[in-house]
Amino acid sequence: MDTLAHLTGLSVATLWMLAKVLIVITVLMGLASPLTWVERRGSAMLQDRIGPNRAALFGKWRILGLAHVVADGIKFFFKEDLVPPHATKRLFWLAPMLAFVPAMMGFAVIPIGRSFVAGGHTYHLSLLEPGNGMGMLYPMAIGGIAVYGILVAAWSSNNKWSILGGMRASAQMVSYEIGLSLAILAVFMVVGGYDPHQIIADQGAKGWLIWRQPIGFLVFFTCMFAETNRLPFDFAEGESEIVAGFHTEYGSMKFAIMALAEYFHIITASALITTMYLGGWQIPFLPNASALATVVAFATKVVFLCWVFIWIRWTLPRFRYDQLMFMGWKVMLPLSMANLLLNAYWMRSH
Amino acid sequence: MFILFALITLLGAGAMILQKNVITAGLCMVLTFFGVAGLFLMLSNPVAAALQLIVYSGAIMVLVLFVIMLLNSHEEEPAKSARPIQRWGGLALCLVLGFGALRLALKSPAAAALGAQATQARAMTLEQVGQELFSSHLLAFEVVGLLLLATMVAAVALTKKEL
Repeated sequence: MDTLAHLTGLSVATLWMLAKVLIVITVLMGLASPLTWVERRGSAMLQDRIGPNRAALFGKWRILGLAHVVADGIKFFFKEDLVPPHATKRLFWLAPMLAFVPAMMGFAVIPIGRSFVAGGHTYHLSLLEPGNGMGMLYPMAIGGIAVYGILVAAWSSNNKWSILGGMRASAQMVSYEIGLSLAILAVFMVVGGYDPHQIIADQGAKGWLIWRQPIGFLVFFTCMFAETNRLPFDFAEGESEIVAGFHTEYGSMKFAIMALAEYFHIITASALITTMYLGGWQIPFLPNASALATVVAFATKVVFLCWVFIWIRWTLPRFRYDQLMFMGWKVMLPLSMANLLLNAYWMRSH
Repeated sequence: MFILFALITLLGAGAMILQKNVITAGLCMVLTFFGVAGLFLMLSNPVAAALQLIVYSGAIMVLVLFVIMLLNSHEEEPAKSARPIQRWGGLALCLVLGFGALRLALKSPAAAALGAQATQARAMTLEQVGQELFSSHLLAFEVVGLLLLATMVAAVALTKKEL
């Protein structure tokens, strides 16, 4: 690293930051497209079908339908880029970006492995250094603005189905954010800090928070489904009622970007759940694992949770809209409030 | 960096006022919130920046846009007659308020301290905010809590015909 810094004339910190940004972006991009494949093949597996298996590389190799990912990508690139005549054009173009950028940004604060020392420098494996003062407030802030992609897409399409989808998305997001915030608050309280590095260190010392706060985990997990707009909470899309909701009018690459944003959201949500409740990069019974091993452990947990997201999508049917609101306000909110009070009481009596 | 965030804030605010379309105006306001959050970050107060984004752009503006969509009135109604008094009165009020705010900011002890010491400020943390709230601003905090509770009860009483 030192020689590289010397050669390029940049400081080690800048180089390391560049490397981290590159790694995170390539890994996210690289993980999102296989996830589309897992979604197709996984749903087929769960429903006792064969799933996509027709596309073949050079007409020869079918490789379990993996060629479909490539074919889809090529198809999206070469499709006609339609903008409906009554749409608000500028916002219609802006919406996929608004969906995409926050989905990528949320990952920045999450530590993907143990910090390590090499050649006299300490390297932290998260984009934002520990002790930046933002901590876990950052993904909450980014999660809050993620809804604008859907809202802008819905409204600029100038289509009743789209607007219905957008309205549902905004109402759902705001309702579930309250339960989510209270669950996160309980974690802050028990840990005594809000920096992800602190949360992970505490979990390494005293046990994972999923065991210490099972109710909080349940609420957080459920709210994450609502925040990522995944089934059983994908009311913004709701294809059986409102065609395709907020992206009814979207096609070609714009649609592809929106779909990618959804997968980024899944990955970020999995990473958040891992950090908050599953010990982050900690490996059970191995407190002194090497940095590389911790990265592998973190990746394993995240990939497993991504699979859980897909698994649940193809297992549970969609709720009704009033059931969603009932869940958000009358189940999740009281549950997480009770969780907060119980934890406070427990902390006071010990 | 300061110029960038200040420009984002000002342009967002200006566009919001000039925009005829209510939804676009709302989105411009979100842009302003982003600029202000950036300014908070530059003042080494990441907590305020995060709360700004969570509360204002994440919750309040989403609700405002939701209501606008629900009412489905995307265009402002044109005024029946031009009212120059409103325009000039508004401008004058803006100037007076702006002048007052500027004077207050320049006279405040924080501004004086800014020139005296050029040391690196320590970033604000959530713990500090909590301590400050529950020690020196406890009364205001409690009063605000009571006010919010009263508002909530009033909102429920207004919307629910039969309790």
